[in-house]
Amino acid sequence: MKAKTYLRILFGTLVLLFALAVGYVYYFIEHYPPPFTNRISLDAKLKYIRNNIDVNKIDTFIVGSSIGLNNVIGSILEKESKCVKHAVNLSVYEATTLEAEQLMQLTKTFPNLKRIIYSAQYSDLPHPWRYENFDANTYIGYMNHTLSWWRLLKFYFKACNNLLFCYERSQKWENKHMQPDKFTSLLFDHTCSVPLKIYKQKGVGGRWYLPHPPIMHIESFRAIARMAKSAKEHGIYFYVAHQPYRPELYKKHKSVRDGIAYFDQKVTEAIKEYNGTLIKLQNLPLNNSHFADRTHLNDRGSAISTKAVAKAIDNREKEK
Amino acid sequence: MLFNSYEFIFLFLPITYFIYFYLNKKHLTEASKAFMVFASLFFYSWWNIKYLPLILISMIFNYSLGRELVNPKKLKTISKKTLLWIGIAFNLGLLGYFKYMDFFIANINRLTGSEFKLLHLALPLAISFYTFQQIAYLVDSYRGETKEYDFLNYAVFVTFFPQLIAGPIVHHKEMMPQFAKTKNKVIRLENIAVGLFIFFMGLFKKVVIADTFATWATQGFDVAKNLNMLEAWSASLSYTFQLYFDFSGYTDMAIGLALLFNIKLPTNFLSPYKATSIQDFWRRWHITLSHFLRDYIYIPLGGNRKGEIRTYINLFITFLLGGLWHGAGWTFVFWGTLHGLALIIHRAWQKLKIKLPLILAWFLTFNFINIAWVFFRAKSFDDALKVLKGMFTGDFILPNSWSHLFGSLKSSLHFGEWSKLYANESYMGLWLLIAFIIVVAMPNSMEWKDRFKTNFFYLILTLFFALSLFMLYKKSEFLYFNF
Repeated sequence: MKAKTYLRILFGTLVLLFALAVGYVYYFIEHYPPPFTNRISLDAKLKYIRNNIDVNKIDTFIVGSSIGLNNVIGSILEKESKCVKHAVNLSVYEATTLEAEQLMQLTKTFPNLKRIIYSAQYSDLPHPWRYENFDANTYIGYMNHTLSWWRLLKFYFKACNNLLFCYERSQKWENKHMQPDKFTSLLFDHTCSVPLKIYKQKGVGGRWYLPHPPIMHIESFRAIARMAKSAKEHGIYFYVAHQPYRPELYKKHKSVRDGIAYFDQKVTEAIKEYNGTLIKLQNLPLNNSHFADRTHLNDRGSAISTKAVAKAIDNREKEK
Repeated sequence: MLFNSYEFIFLFLPITYFIYFYLNKKHLTEASKAFMVFASLFFYSWWNIKYLPLILISMIFNYSLGRELVNPKKLKTISKKTLLWIGIAFNLGLLGYFKYMDFFIANINRLTGSEFKLLHLALPLAISFYTFQQIAYLVDSYRGETKEYDFLNYAVFVTFFPQLIAGPIVHHKEMMPQFAKTKNKVIRLENIAVGLFIFFMGLFKKVVIADTFATWATQGFDVAKNLNMLEAWSASLSYTFQLYFDFSGYTDMAIGLALLFNIKLPTNFLSPYKATSIQDFWRRWHITLSHFLRDYIYIPLGGNRKGEIRTYINLFITFLLGGLWHGAGWTFVFWGTLHGLALIIHRAWQKLKIKLPLILAWFLTFNFINIAWVFFRAKSFDDALKVLKGMFTGDFILPNSWSHLFGSLKSSLHFGEWSKLYANESYMGLWLLIAFIIVVAMPNSMEWKDRFKTNFFYLILTLFFALSLFMLYKKSEFLYFNF
């Protein structure tokens, strides 16, 4: 064929391919969380907050790892606490304390914030890791609709330029993240918390009976101190909810008891100066039926834990 | 700006292309050349504008000196030869300062126990390439083999963006006349078709093949502390394929891009892993560098004209310098030394007039090259020895799933988890096999280019390669940008 015809077909097909790609990206963005970060739970939350939450109403910000995601249920907190009216849970799977500190930068999205709850267990503290390329300003702009159309387009483009990855995510989404009986669940309540419906120890394996070594990095406590300081500077209450360890393991292993005691001691020291509050939850009336594994509570357990957090908040804020 | 980036493919290239040909269409030839120089320098500065003055100074200096060398009548107080040596010293001085100063200081410190501070200079992009190109220009001017080009033509020759960063190393004789030709100043659809075909093929080689092997090579060379035999061979072969697909992919892209502007760049690769001797390899690998080393080092040293022993010495020196050109490190020097020695052995072997069976010759050549690349890739001799130790004395563990294939031999072999390092890379074996078939049994990109026709088959092939446009998110640099 003539070169002119050849090139017409070639460019025509390329344009068509790009149009299809753009169409797919549009579909993907509408139906799944775009991979803005390398944490799907954060991606899902950014999108959920943008689409469903009035950022001006939020007064309570919950942050942490999956211990924050699964163990503090925002919707229960709103019901049980007299102080908490509207909560949002920005906890992210596997977040270290330093990463939680980075996530705290996102509190700027919520202009009427009154309290921050960092929900953690000593097992969250062994590594001083941070997120690379954590672009807080863009995430804030995305959530509160202040990004210009050009920056929004760039944000989507950067997130979705790996189409294969997007496709893989869409394929796994339903089975992996929309099931309440999986640890990877992202089935949010209206505050982005995820109550787990996992009731049997079978299939959980080592997660049920092996305790975490009591290793905590000193930088993690420094990060907690900085979080408390920042909260104080902004006139915001700061709580550390120390989530319970499965009581059988707590009784059986000295290392767990030591880990919890050390955590309590170091956190108390870290937040004391900034009027932070440590909420100790180890002695709640919990048994195996309340746990999904050694540290993650299921919906029954998290309801109890959240009520205790609500009570602690009300007590603390009534003092004023 | 990388060839494999969105900003290059969707912004820089189309804008440059249309403005360049628009100016030519309006018969603004000089303006079109000036625009090409501007665009190329913009392309160069995208990485770091700090080094723009360096390339400009280098260009102005070499052009001025070249003019003096072409017009010996004007020279009164200084001989032509002295002037040439000044020029060469300037270029090598520049290269030496930026590329080798820290290497030099570190070795002085090691030898004398002194504690001179390292300069930690960043290597200006493309300096190795444009320095060589301009040394060749000076030498040819001295020999009276250049014409009197104006500065704009010279600047286009040096900066033309497709070849600026990592070659092919072009020669003024083959480039400047092409920019002067009137028929090259109009859009030629045939060249666009073949140019895009080669460009996308190169892009595919880079982003799909080379970048896949890059991960495995990095794991083997930089991450693992020990390697068993299969892991070590996987790592070394991964790098062997990565380097070829990366660099030849870059060259294909450069050749394809130049063709869009009706400029033919020289061939740089001709299926090097099909070579059946080390001499054959250097006729197929980085051909423009081989030509430069031959024409401007080996032959001036005397080539093969001064007896057998001198020929060996000349070969050795040429490849030692070739190794050093690739990087300021003893591993590169050692790699050059290995190739120099291999060429001497090959030459001596040829004297014996004993011909090896072709397959054996290929097998020996390929394995020598693969082993020598280990030194080229490793960051230190310890890393290189780690890989070589694994290749030759590491545990030989076969995958459990293969045990039924070996029948009675089963008891004498070691089965288990064949690799902890690559355990999750289920397609690694297949990738290695495919790469092997491509480099040994398939035509190379230049052969594809020569066969190209604007028909349905090549259209489909071009579109297939163009799918790599959807994988640009990786955006990794080309290996030869470091040399």
